[in-house]
Amino acid sequence: MSLILQAIVNGLVSGALLAVPAIGFTAMFAVLRFPNFSVSGIATLGAFAGYVAYGAGFQMVGSLAVAFVVAGAVGLLLDQAAHLPLVKQGALPAAIASIASGLVLENVTRLMFGNDMRGYDRPIARDVHVGDIRFSPQQLETMAVAVAIMLAIFAALAFTRIGKAMRASADNPELAALKGIRPERVAMMASFVGLGLVGVGGMLLGLDSSIDPLTGARILLSIFAAAVLGGLGSAPGAVLGAFLIGIAEELSVLVVGSPYRSAVGFFAILIVLSLRPRGLLGERAF
Amino acid sequence: MNRTVFGRRTALLSGVAAFAAPAVLRAQADPIKLATLTPLTGAGGSYGPAMAKAAAGVVAAVNEAGGVLGRKVVLTSEDDQTNPDAGVRAARKLIDVDKVSAIMGTWASAVTTAVAPLCWESKTFLTSTSGADSITLLPHQGYLVRTQPNTQLQVGHAGEFLLSIGCKKAFTLVPQTPFSQASLDVLNRVMTKGGGASSGLIYDDKKTTYRTEVDQALRYAPDAIFCAGYTPDTVVLLKDLYRAGFKGKIIGQAYAINAKLIEQVGQPEIVEGVYTFAPSPAEGSGAYERVKKITGLANPDPYSSQVYDHASMVLMAMAQAKDTTGTAVKDNIRKICQGGGKAVDNAVDGIKAIAAGEKVDYAGASGPCDFDDKGDILDCKFRYEQLKAGKPTLVKIF
Repeated sequence: MSLILQAIVNGLVSGALLAVPAIGFTAMFAVLRFPNFSVSGIATLGAFAGYVAYGAGFQMVGSLAVAFVVAGAVGLLLDQAAHLPLVKQGALPAAIASIASGLVLENVTRLMFGNDMRGYDRPIARDVHVGDIRFSPQQLETMAVAVAIMLAIFAALAFTRIGKAMRASADNPELAALKGIRPERVAMMASFVGLGLVGVGGMLLGLDSSIDPLTGARILLSIFAAAVLGGLGSAPGAVLGAFLIGIAEELSVLVVGSPYRSAVGFFAILIVLSLRPRGLLGERAF
Repeated sequence: MNRTVFGRRTALLSGVAAFAAPAVLRAQADPIKLATLTPLTGAGGSYGPAMAKAAAGVVAAVNEAGGVLGRKVVLTSEDDQTNPDAGVRAARKLIDVDKVSAIMGTWASAVTTAVAPLCWESKTFLTSTSGADSITLLPHQGYLVRTQPNTQLQVGHAGEFLLSIGCKKAFTLVPQTPFSQASLDVLNRVMTKGGGASSGLIYDDKKTTYRTEVDQALRYAPDAIFCAGYTPDTVVLLKDLYRAGFKGKIIGQAYAINAKLIEQVGQPEIVEGVYTFAPSPAEGSGAYERVKKITGLANPDPYSSQVYDHASMVLMAMAQAKDTTGTAVKDNIRKICQGGGKAVDNAVDGIKAIAAGEKVDYAGASGPCDFDDKGDILDCKFRYEQLKAGKPTLVKIF
């Protein structure tokens, strides 16, 4: 029983880290109406930008800010130059272009940093035990940062002018435009914030392990599965989906072994698309 | 006064000779083409460059001594990126474009498994430093030998070592590779035979954390954990074992727990006391001394020593066959490295002896280099080290 409880705790930690890029992915889908698969390359870019900043003496929060700005800026550039011009022809061409962009970013990172794995120079502490369950102080710290970022996003969406504009555009773009909300500006903001969050997610996931050019590619399926499970376009749904995927992936290790872990994401997508295509919370819960 | 008559027949003969002679000369001058396919990047990236250098050193020495069968040897070096897809692309280029007779030095078992079919289909000889049992069980028709001991030999030795330092209960954590199941089975067999017990699990090497896998391992209450992965996943695994407070012994392959791993882990206490094992090169032999000189390393790793032997054996097999094809190497490689004869430890001496009609028996930088019918080496020694204050210290060689 304690093994299951421990797996759930581990799943909650990885789910919290997964939730940040999943929110970014789903927010972009809500506003821009295409699944931006360049998140794999952007997450890698964010992880490496944060790594460079951390190595240059920035603290964790400062490095996360660097990861956010670099990933957001490069993502915005790619969206404007390569993805958004294709959205007019449908979501599929833009989605395919975004896969290509992700691969390009991954290889640019490889060109700049090589294939080697790198670790953030962060002291590792022993776990804290509460009964049979153990917690890593650093992972709790990282989780707390992830939760704080999520709360900040929800506060921004609920209370700021641009947050409300994004929600309005996501809900009904035509009506929002009639109310004077400029769709291009909202699209740019969605790209920047969404992909910035993906970059932050890449760094958060790399903080306790290590990073390499494939860091983003490894989490792409989990991000997509979390967003689909919660309801594509729904930020609370992405959070719920991320926690469920995180827990399911860890529990699956106990049942079928970790080599089959990636099947959990595929299975979740299959079940949701078959039984509840709009996801657990539906797409309008943004 | 004599007049030279330049008749029609003479003219024709002269013409034929004029066209034919360069072709004959050209054929004699055509270089012998060999290649190394080593991991210059990726998980094995810390070994590949020295491996390629070792082969280049052998080729340079042979060329300096006049080549093989009067022909120079040209060596091409490609990077398999420790990745089967990249390995296959590089092997295709070496076989189809460069038209090499032999590919030497594939390191990761997954790469060797992917590249081997291309080699035996094209009759290109393949020499490997991979250890998975499944490799020599492939239908390679004799076009493959490896100097790395197989999983049976490696994990069997590691199990005996664990028993010798008092471990009775071992747990294996191994990624999904061609040697996963064999690693679990062999350690279990050896530990059980020695009065101990063993269990283990196979993990996904793409995960960013192994907390749940470590929990499973710790529930078994092992006194030793065998980390059987490569460097990137072992970095994460060792960190998670430290976080979990594991106090028992840890052992892993020296190719994974190496200087790069120590640097990436960053905290010496995480790797303090960890044991490593590796096939031991033939330290003190003339061949090993030459590998030191070629690579510029004070303690060359076993793989550089093995690739030195690969290049030496392939070139001597060609000299023995008086032919430079992959098939000629396949049919003659055992004739120059086992079964008695003049003991040689380098290609230059071996080629000279073969040219003089002598039977040679090569023993090189990695050891005796005697192969069974499947292409496995028959025996080798292992070197056990323990990390102390971030530095490997020799425990024993047996």
